[in-house]
Amino acid sequence: MVESRQNILKGTLDMLILKTLSLAPLHGLGISRRLEQITDGVFQVKPGSLFPALHRMEQEGWIVGSWGESENNRRAKFYSLTPAGRSRLGEEREGWAQLVATIGLVLEAN
Amino acid sequence: MPFIPLIKGTFRALTRSDAQERELDEELQSYLELLVAEKTKDGMEPGRARREALMELGGAEQVKDSVRESQHGAALESLICDLRHVLRAMGKAPGFTFVVVLTLALGIGANTAIFSTINAVLIRNIPYTDSDRLVAGEKTQDGAPQGPLSRLDYFDISDSAQSFEGLAAYVPHQVTITGDPAPEVVGMMFATWNLLPILGTDPIVGRHFLREEEIEGGARSALISEGLWRRRFGGEADVGGRALLVEGESFTIVGVIPSKFRFMADVDLWLQIERGDYMIDRKRDSHSLQIVGRLKPGITLAQAQSESDGITASLAEQYPDTNTGKGLILYDLQRFMVGEARTGLLLLMATTAMVLLIACGNVAGLLLARGQARLGEMAMRSALGAPRKRLVRQLVTESVFMTMVAGVAGIGFAVLFQKLLLELLPLGQPGLPQPALDTTVLLFTLTISVLAGAAVGVVPALQATSIKPWDHLKTISQVSEGRRSSRMRNLLVVAQVASSVVLLVGSGLLIQTMSRLTTVDLGFDPNGLLAGTVAIRGSVYETREQRAEFFSLLVERVEAIPGVTQASVVSKIPIGSPYMDWEIWPSDQPKPIHGESRTALARFVMPDYFETMSIPLLEGRDIERTDTSDTGSVIVLSEATAEGLFPGRDPIGRMVNIDWDDPYEVVGVVGNARLDGVRSDFDWAMYLSSAQKGVTSQWLAVRTERDPLLFAEPIRTIVQDMDPDVVFFNPRSMSAIIEKDLSGLQTVTTALGLLAGIALLLTSIGLYGVLAYHVNQRIGEFGIRIALGAPTRGLLAMVLKRSVRMVGAGLALGVVVSVFGTRLVQELLFETDPLDPLTYVGAIAFLGTVGLAACVLPAWRAIRVNPVDVLRKE
Repeated sequence: MVESRQNILKGTLDMLILKTLSLAPLHGLGISRRLEQITDGVFQVKPGSLFPALHRMEQEGWIVGSWGESENNRRAKFYSLTPAGRSRLGEEREGWAQLVATIGLVLEAN
Repeated sequence: MPFIPLIKGTFRALTRSDAQERELDEELQSYLELLVAEKTKDGMEPGRARREALMELGGAEQVKDSVRESQHGAALESLICDLRHVLRAMGKAPGFTFVVVLTLALGIGANTAIFSTINAVLIRNIPYTDSDRLVAGEKTQDGAPQGPLSRLDYFDISDSAQSFEGLAAYVPHQVTITGDPAPEVVGMMFATWNLLPILGTDPIVGRHFLREEEIEGGARSALISEGLWRRRFGGEADVGGRALLVEGESFTIVGVIPSKFRFMADVDLWLQIERGDYMIDRKRDSHSLQIVGRLKPGITLAQAQSESDGITASLAEQYPDTNTGKGLILYDLQRFMVGEARTGLLLLMATTAMVLLIACGNVAGLLLARGQARLGEMAMRSALGAPRKRLVRQLVTESVFMTMVAGVAGIGFAVLFQKLLLELLPLGQPGLPQPALDTTVLLFTLTISVLAGAAVGVVPALQATSIKPWDHLKTISQVSEGRRSSRMRNLLVVAQVASSVVLLVGSGLLIQTMSRLTTVDLGFDPNGLLAGTVAIRGSVYETREQRAEFFSLLVERVEAIPGVTQASVVSKIPIGSPYMDWEIWPSDQPKPIHGESRTALARFVMPDYFETMSIPLLEGRDIERTDTSDTGSVIVLSEATAEGLFPGRDPIGRMVNIDWDDPYEVVGVVGNARLDGVRSDFDWAMYLSSAQKGVTSQWLAVRTERDPLLFAEPIRTIVQDMDPDVVFFNPRSMSAIIEKDLSGLQTVTTALGLLAGIALLLTSIGLYGVLAYHVNQRIGEFGIRIALGAPTRGLLAMVLKRSVRMVGAGLALGVVVSVFGTRLVQELLFETDPLDPLTYVGAIAFLGTVGLAACVLPAWRAIRVNPVDVLRKE
C-alpha cells in the first residue's frame, strides 16, 4: 500500500486504528509501529494522517486519550478504545466483510 | 472563494482554546522525542536521528493544521463541503434547480406577502396606548348588533358606568372649510372630549378638548390635524386661538394632532360633541354615534359588558318608547376594527399555505425520484466510509439551501405581490398598522424556508441513504424503487390532488359569487354615470327656496355641457352612500308599536332623478318642480315599499307617515334598487322632495354619453363659478363606486383563482412526474411483457389503474375536506350555496381530466416500449 491511497481509504484507516487499539492502549508512535509490524511494513501511517484521524475519532467518542509514561519513561498521550469505539469497530468489520465479499462476487463473475 | 479561509480562521480562533493548542504541541513533541529515542536506540547518531525524525514528522505545523481541520473546524468544514456538493449538484441539474427554486419561491413569496398583512392587521397591536384595554361598542336591538348608539343613551351610559377609565363617542363626517387660502372639503370627526386621550394620543401643539367644554352650546373649539395645520396655517406655532370657518361657522383651534394618528376614518378636523339640544341625535331613537372605551386596569370585557347590560336595562325601563330591547355590545377594539377583513385574510392565508404545501409536495416528489437516481452515488460514498448521518445531512443541506435561495427570491416576489394584490385587500378600518416586511415577517419567511427545506429534504434523504451499500452494489444494474419510497410518492400525489380539489371548489364558489355580483340587477344603470358631492351652507342659503334654486340652476348648467344627457340631485347616491332609514306606516293605521315597525331608506331627490339613474317609474308621477314648500308633501315609494304598505291596493294618492312628520301623499311608485351596497337586498326605499325639505348636502348624479370622468373638471368649474365657497367633491364614476364596494371580494376571488390555478398546475406536474417515473422503472418489465405477447390494452390498464387509484383517492379526500372547509368562505358568498353540487362536480371533473391527461404520456410510453431495445440494454 502506498501513502497516497490512504486518503481514499480513510474509513479503513479508522478501522485499522480501532483494531490496533482494541488489543491495548497505545500512543501515536506506538500505533504506527504496531500497524507496520502487523502488515509487515506494507502499511505505513504518517503523522499527517495519524493525528487528524486520532483527534477526529476522539471527538466522535470512539477513543479516549490520557497522558502516561512510555516504555522508556517519556511522557506520551495514550489512546484507548471506548465502548462506542468497540461497537464501531464491529460495524466497520461487518461492512468490510460484506464489501469484500461483494467485490469478490463482481470480480469472479464471468 | 477567498472568504472561506477567512471564515475558517475566524471560526477556529473562536472555538479552539489555548489549552488544546498546547496539548497538541506537547503530543507532537512527545511523538518526536519517542521517534528520536527509537532511532538512537537503533544506533543512529543523535543529531542525525533528530533530523530524520523531524523529516518523518513532515512539518509540525502542517500536522497541526490537519488536526485542527479534522477536529474543530469539522462542523464548518463539512458544511462548506456540503455546500460545495450542493452547488455542484445544482450546477449539474440547472433545470431541476430552477424549477424547484421557482416553485418554492412563488409559494414562499405568496405566504410572506399574505403573512405581512396578517401580521399587521391581526397580530400586531393597534397603535394606541395599552391597546388591550380598548373596547368598541355597538347598539343592539333584541340582541342583534345594529351599529351606532344614540347620543342621549351614550351620555347616560358613560355617566354611570364604573368599568371604564373613559367611554368616548365619535362619528365621522365631511365638511367644507372656507376662508383663506381656498375652500376645501375635509374629513371631520365629531368626538367627545375624551376620545383622543382614551386612545392615548397627545396634541403636538396646544391642548385636548376639555370636559368643561362639553356643556350645552359648547366652547366651539376645534382640533386640527398636522396636515391641515401645515396646509392652511404654514405650521405656525401660535395657531392656538385662531379661528377656522367650518360650514360658515367659526370654531377656535385649540390643538394640533400628529399626522401619524389615524382612527377609523381619515380626518383633518375634530369637533366636540356637546350635551343638551344638539345637532346630532336630538332624540333618543336617533342613532349615529360610535363608541370606544378604555377599561380600568383589571376589569375584563365580560365585567364591563354585564355592567353595561344593567345600565341599558334600566334605561329601557325609564324610556320604554325608545329603549325597549335596546342594548350595547362591547368588543375588543382591534377585532372590531379588523371586522370582515378577517375572514378574507384568513382564507387567503390558508390558501397560500396550501399552495406552499403542494409546492413542497412536488419538490419532495422530485427529490425522492432524484434520490433513487443517486442511490449509486450514495452507496459508493457509504462504502467508502461516509457515515449515513453525514450523507443525510448533506442531502438535507442541499434541500434547505435550495429553499433558502427560494426564500430570498420569495421576498422579492412578496414585494411584488404586495404591490399587485395587497393594496386592494380589505384591511379593516383606517388606523390599523400597515403591512410591512418587518423583522417578524422576515423571521416568518426564514422559518418557513427552513421548515420547507427540511420537510421536502428529510424523507428523500433517508430514503436515498436507506439502502445498504453491499445490497446496492450487488444489484448495481437494476435499481428498483423501494416500496416505502414509492408509497410515499403516491401519498404525496393523493394529498396534492386533495388540496387542489379544495382550492378549486373554494375558488369556484367565489367565482360564482363574483359573477352573480357583477351581473346582479342593481335596479339602476351604472354605466356612464358620474357622482360627486356638493354641499352648500345653510346659513348662506337660508330658505328652502334658495337651496332648491341653487341645485336647480346647477343641474341646468351641468345639463348644458355637451355630452351630458341628464343630471339630478340626491341626498345619498346608491352603493356609495348607504344607510339612513326611517320608520314608515300608512296614515290610516296607528303608529306601529316598538319592534313591529318597518323602516325604509330615505332619500331626498330633485326632479328627473329616476330618469337620470334609469330607475323605472312604474306608477304615478315623478317628483316635480311644482312640488315646493308651498304645496303638499309628496313621496315616491319603491315597489317593495308600496306592496308592503298597501298589499293589493293602489298606493297612488294614499297617505303615509314618517316618524314625527306630517303625512305625505304617495304620488308615484318606482322600481326597486340596491341602495346600501351591491350585496344588499332590495331594501324598502322612499324618495322625498329635496326642494320641500331644503336639503343642503347633496350628491350630483350625471348621466353622460362618454367616459364620465371627463366631466368632473367642467362641473367643478361650474360649481366654483356659482359659489366660490362650494366644492364639487370627490367625483367618481358609478363603476368605480361599485368596484370599491366589491374590491375586497374581487381581490380575494382573483387571488384565490390564481392560487387554485397554480395548485392545479403543480398537482398535474406532480402526478405526471410520479407516473413517468413509475413507467421508467418498469420499462424492462414492460419490454419483457410485450416480447411475451402481452396485449397493449392490458399494459395501458396497468398504468392507468395506478393513476386512477391515486387521483380517485385524492378527489374523495378533497371533497370531504371541502365540505368542511367551505364553511370558511360562507361569509363571503352571495346567493351561492357552499355545497353547490355544480361546483363540486365541476371541480372533480376538471381535476379528474387534468389528472388523467397527466398520465397519457407515461402510459403511451409504456405501450410503445420496444422489447428489443430493452433486452439489449439489460
